[in-house]
Amino acid sequence: MGKRGGMITNDIRTLRAARGEMTQQELADRVGVTRQTVNAIEGNKYSPSLEVAFRIARVFEVPLEQVFQYGE
Amino acid sequence: MRMSFQEKSHWLVFLSLLAVFGYYFSRVLPAGSINVEPEHLGAFTFAVVALVITQIVGHTVIAFVDRRSDTDERDRLIALRGTRNGGYVLSTGVFLALSAAVVTDGNFLFTHVLLGAWVLAQLVETGSQLLLYRRGG
Repeated sequence: MGKRGGMITNDIRTLRAARGEMTQQELADRVGVTRQTVNAIEGNKYSPSLEVAFRIARVFEVPLEQVFQYGE
Repeated sequence: MRMSFQEKSHWLVFLSLLAVFGYYFSRVLPAGSINVEPEHLGAFTFAVVALVITQIVGHTVIAFVDRRSDTDERDRLIALRGTRNGGYVLSTGVFLALSAAVVTDGNFLFTHVLLGAWVLAQLVETGSQLLLYRRGG
């Protein structure tokens, strides 16, 4: 949880665009977090808990590793 | 990034504390005293009432403008980190106030070191929360 030096990246922006330009607010409502938190996750400023990460993957109906990547 | 309800609320608390207790300390500290006098209590009461009114009115306006006041894991993490930082300042302030009570006569310095530590702790708590919101979490 929290910032980990930007090692965790994500493709949320691309996945939102692929879902008919889903807004950050729509994603936030479906995941159960605030829009500001989605924005922070998307900008790699905040690494969410495992539970929120799984909920985001479930909204996009893709495996977790297709949403989040861990770089060395 | 547009500010959330929580962030606006922290700005209100931070700025109102700074303004109200900045005014209080600028009125009371320059004259100094050995003991807390009735006029100090009057200024303190005025400061507390002004702080309460400012925060009630301010939060009403924020709630009217921004209907979403829900919180999530990131808000809770930021709140915990802010409280931890404020706690360090408050515990240091309590130690300094006790030291002041031992080495000085009267209750003026002890009271104001303690009050100053509380105000500073609140400023550090909300200030670090504001910084964490800007940094992402």
